[in-house]
Amino acid sequence: MSASSSPLNSASLQDELKRIEENTRTLLRVSTSRAKVGQTPKQVIWTFNKAKLYHYIPVVPAEKRHKIPLFLVFALMNKPYILDLRPGNSFIEYMVKQGYDVYLLDWGAPGIEDKDLKFDDYVLDYIPRAIRKLKAVSGSDEFTMLGWCIGAILSTIYAALRPNDGLKNLILLTAPLDFTDKKSGGFVRWVNDEAFDPDKIVSAFGNVPGEMIDYGAKALKPVENYIGSYLTLWDNLDNPRIVESWHAMNTWVTDLIPMAGATYAQLIKELYRENRLIQGTMVIRGERVDLSRIHANLLDVIALADHISPPCQSESIMTKVSSEDQLLLKVKGGHIGMMAGSGAMKFTWPHIDSWLAGRSE
Amino acid sequence: MSNESESESPNPLDPFGTMNTLWEANLKNWKSMRNTSLDSWSKTMIDTVNSDEYSLTTGQWLDTYLTLSQPFRRIIDLMMTQVLTGLNIPMRSDVTSLAERLTNIETRLDDQDAKLDDILNAIKAVSISKPTTPKPITNNSAKAKGAR
Repeated sequence: MSASSSPLNSASLQDELKRIEENTRTLLRVSTSRAKVGQTPKQVIWTFNKAKLYHYIPVVPAEKRHKIPLFLVFALMNKPYILDLRPGNSFIEYMVKQGYDVYLLDWGAPGIEDKDLKFDDYVLDYIPRAIRKLKAVSGSDEFTMLGWCIGAILSTIYAALRPNDGLKNLILLTAPLDFTDKKSGGFVRWVNDEAFDPDKIVSAFGNVPGEMIDYGAKALKPVENYIGSYLTLWDNLDNPRIVESWHAMNTWVTDLIPMAGATYAQLIKELYRENRLIQGTMVIRGERVDLSRIHANLLDVIALADHISPPCQSESIMTKVSSEDQLLLKVKGGHIGMMAGSGAMKFTWPHIDSWLAGRSE
Repeated sequence: MSNESESESPNPLDPFGTMNTLWEANLKNWKSMRNTSLDSWSKTMIDTVNSDEYSLTTGQWLDTYLTLSQPFRRIIDLMMTQVLTGLNIPMRSDVTSLAERLTNIETRLDDQDAKLDDILNAIKAVSISKPTTPKPITNNSAKAKGAR
């Protein structure tokens, strides 16, 4: 490295040893501690069971702010702070700076008493109550709903069941909605196998452990997740930008929460296996979920390299809804990287903002 | 780093420098080989986990695990129930039922909150639709204020 710059090289050897020592310390720090995440200023404005609704403190003067509030619904597994990972790499921080009034629904971690919660409860109890509070606080009768992954399933079902509740814009991110292709990706294959019995899992565990869901996600790309990720860190230990980014992402990846047992069973049986949502046969508390009732402006964002929700699972919604104003946005990247990776702030976020800005007045 | 080593030729009398140059060259080759092999390994693994055979194997393995562990879980549950009852300590089912009752109370509270919001909104709407006309100040009211 810098060996030839010193005549005897003892100094460079010392430098090298110091570098190794520093790298080891960095490695220990990032692998044994939690990064500071979710730092955009916010306040809790509503709680219900384990769920919380956060309102992010606006930074743009009221007269310059968009009138329609933005309501974020994340997936039921993993924590929602991936949307607010760290300063400078936070979708929420970005949208707040663009003048949106941002609200985030955090589902919390279900306890064993919540094992019977189903999509029905999340869609018809939790979401409407959170929206009522959002409307009361924002003073707006209309809102934009952005759902990511399973949050997108919940948002879609809600939009179909309550199309006249003030939903103006619907944004779906990597939405697993159509399971017609039973060979598209590992998840669909695994859960469609006869030997895989979701009821048995639920009966054994109550709620499906976060570790089990995490294993499923990581096993789709085992080398990248179990080895590649750590090698990337090892190769870049003297690059603080990459190290801090890795630390924050690792904090999120290892911060697991269980999934309510009944919801899991419903997801596997009614969606992954029977494909009821896209076929229009899904029934939520006696109401059929008819996607053609969705008439809100629709932005469907899909990640081209998504191995968790392959693009074919998200595209067909466009032909099922009645929305006149709709856009299918294809983005480079994976399921998470699309929104939290280094390219997100250069491509995905500005595109969402440019689509939404004109529809938020 | 690489520019520096390219621009400066290594001193042949410097054993450390030669060692470092060799080390760096080897490291670079090793990294390149490692990345290539990881890529091919990754592709093989992705193909494997996306195969029907893998689905069948993991499904069967999970099913066997759940079936075999079920009797043990039952025994543990039974023993825990007996021990906790004997010690007069609430069981998981007690805590769960308490949590469910709390959730029910929370649901009621949230319903009340919604109704309260509706009432407040209705009052606001009425007050906006019927603007109150300012009352002229009469001598009586002035006296009453003075008396107070």
